[in-house]
Amino acid sequence: MRGLTRDLVATAAFAVLLVFLPSVLREVFGRASVSYLSLATNALVLAVLALSWDMLARTGQLSLAHAAFTGAGAYTVAVLFKLTGAPLWLGIPLGGLVAAVLALGLGSVTLRLFGIYFAIATLAFTEVLKAAVQRLPTAVAGGAAGINVPALFRPTFVAGSMERWEVAFLRNQGYFWVYAGLLVVAVVISVLIQRSRLRAAFTAVRTNEQVAGVMGVNPARMKLLAFVLSSFVAGLLGAVEAHRLGSVSPDGAFSVHTTVLALVTPIFGGLYTTLGPILGATVLAGIEETLKRTFSEGYLIGYGIVLVASILFMPRGLVGLASKLVKRGGASTSGRVGGASGGAADAAAEERA
Amino acid sequence: MDLSLLPQAIVSGVLASGLYALVSVGLALAIGVIGIVNFAHGEFFMVGAFLAYQLFVSFGFDPLLSLLFVAPALAVIGALIYLSSIRFVLRAPELNQMLLTFGIGIILQNLALLIWGGDPRTIANVPYRSLGFQVAGVSIGAVPLGSFVISLLLVAGLYWMLASTPLGRAMRAVAQNRIGAGLVGLEVDRVYLVAFALSALLAGLGGVMIGVIQSPTPTVGLGFTLKAFAIVVLAGLGNIRGIVGAALTVALAESLVATLVPNGDALRNMVFFAIIFVVLVWRSRRVA
Repeated sequence: MRGLTRDLVATAAFAVLLVFLPSVLREVFGRASVSYLSLATNALVLAVLALSWDMLARTGQLSLAHAAFTGAGAYTVAVLFKLTGAPLWLGIPLGGLVAAVLALGLGSVTLRLFGIYFAIATLAFTEVLKAAVQRLPTAVAGGAAGINVPALFRPTFVAGSMERWEVAFLRNQGYFWVYAGLLVVAVVISVLIQRSRLRAAFTAVRTNEQVAGVMGVNPARMKLLAFVLSSFVAGLLGAVEAHRLGSVSPDGAFSVHTTVLALVTPIFGGLYTTLGPILGATVLAGIEETLKRTFSEGYLIGYGIVLVASILFMPRGLVGLASKLVKRGGASTSGRVGGASGGAADAAAEERA
Repeated sequence: MDLSLLPQAIVSGVLASGLYALVSVGLALAIGVIGIVNFAHGEFFMVGAFLAYQLFVSFGFDPLLSLLFVAPALAVIGALIYLSSIRFVLRAPELNQMLLTFGIGIILQNLALLIWGGDPRTIANVPYRSLGFQVAGVSIGAVPLGSFVISLLLVAGLYWMLASTPLGRAMRAVAQNRIGAGLVGLEVDRVYLVAFALSALLAGLGGVMIGVIQSPTPTVGLGFTLKAFAIVVLAGLGNIRGIVGAALTVALAESLVATLVPNGDALRNMVFFAIIFVVLVWRSRRVA
């Protein structure tokens, strides 16, 4: 339990850091802090997305349906405010719940699918869901054109007491804090998994389901639990994104890009860890911003290169690389060095350093 | 539902099935012989379409002539991809292979976006593009018919190659038992290389034809990967012989839904994905 306490203290410290980050940026960069803050927000979004995907991957379910759950969260919010005058903050938890229920459904029918079959089936599920949403009556879901979503923050400009750019800053700050809160929720869930018996159970299910069953782990229950937790977080994220972007559409909300980002980031950062997805998200958000400024289209090529290079040269991600360097410095046991034939998928069968 | 459209829907479906079979048979080859589930397969298709477009724009090449240039180009691209990456993950976990090819697909697609931009590209001004004839009230376009015939010839050629040439025999041997094939003196690595290059080549040729039929964008690849998956899954992973029947089934289902269901055109893709999903889930339950 000492490990758990340590992790939770670290999370709390991280949370405090995030609370003060906007003010620090504002003091240091002034006007330019608006764009730095939106870059930091993108990193947070990516971190939440990646961490939620990683939770599911810990049970061996490499899902290509993550966009389905962020999309479900986004559409829940959009439809809620289109049809009812619900309180502004109600949509977000509801989005998480809808995504979780959807995950329970998908998870139960795909229980017996493994590896590549699971991946293909989840990808197909996403496309069916996208087409289905597109086919819903326009009065409900807006058809192919989509629906507008109210903003969470509408700071007003007060002439004299503030400058123009501060309106954008206040809006960005609001979303930054919401995502920071979301990341803390995701980190706490992830830490609770990693520091309890669930971690052993998840690893057992991933490594060998039959053996896990013999050892007294219920694979079906573990897989569904991971699916529901992961999708709940993804649904919350999609719901907030809908507010931030101001509108949802089938192509945008169920985009394959979301799924790509969700799986590349943890693989790059380090699979089956809490730190890996966050680390990966921070680096990748920076790379993406740079590429986006250079190329208007095709900037996702960076993700492709990172994915291929990670699998070929760094199957345990940044975290694995770091722990390998630490080990080498400490002249400790060698273990299995992850070469090209090693593999991200089974890399974390080993213990973290 | 308007039943008078039924014959037209059936003919359209049958004509489309040739191209589907061509694309899927390449994917089935990669899965069956090498054991690689290639998520970048549809991108070879896209690359073929855009190479044909570029040849047309730069040199005024007729797409039929482009077939002769695109085939070796795609074989080289496939070989290079195999040698630079796929070769190193042959014994890695299946999921690493899958993610690797997924990454290759993202690279190819975005490379195309960087080169050609995101707008649809049309190979216009081909003399036979608008040709066609009517048989008993059913209109048949020259281009779909031509692509159907060429595709079937290519697929038949592949079947013949697998059945009665030394290379085909080597591929079947490697597919059945990688180690055994090596023990009797086959160069397994070289067979893999040829199979992967051939798989890319077949997809590329399909791409040239779709470049004439439709106006593709660089993002069409993933859609075709998924369609090929639907067909390969229906035939059974690694089953090359079942591809033609499965392609016919899927193409007919798509065409019938698009024509006969009101406002069914938007449902086209849904048919494919619903088939993949239902077949996978149903099979996994039946085994249990």
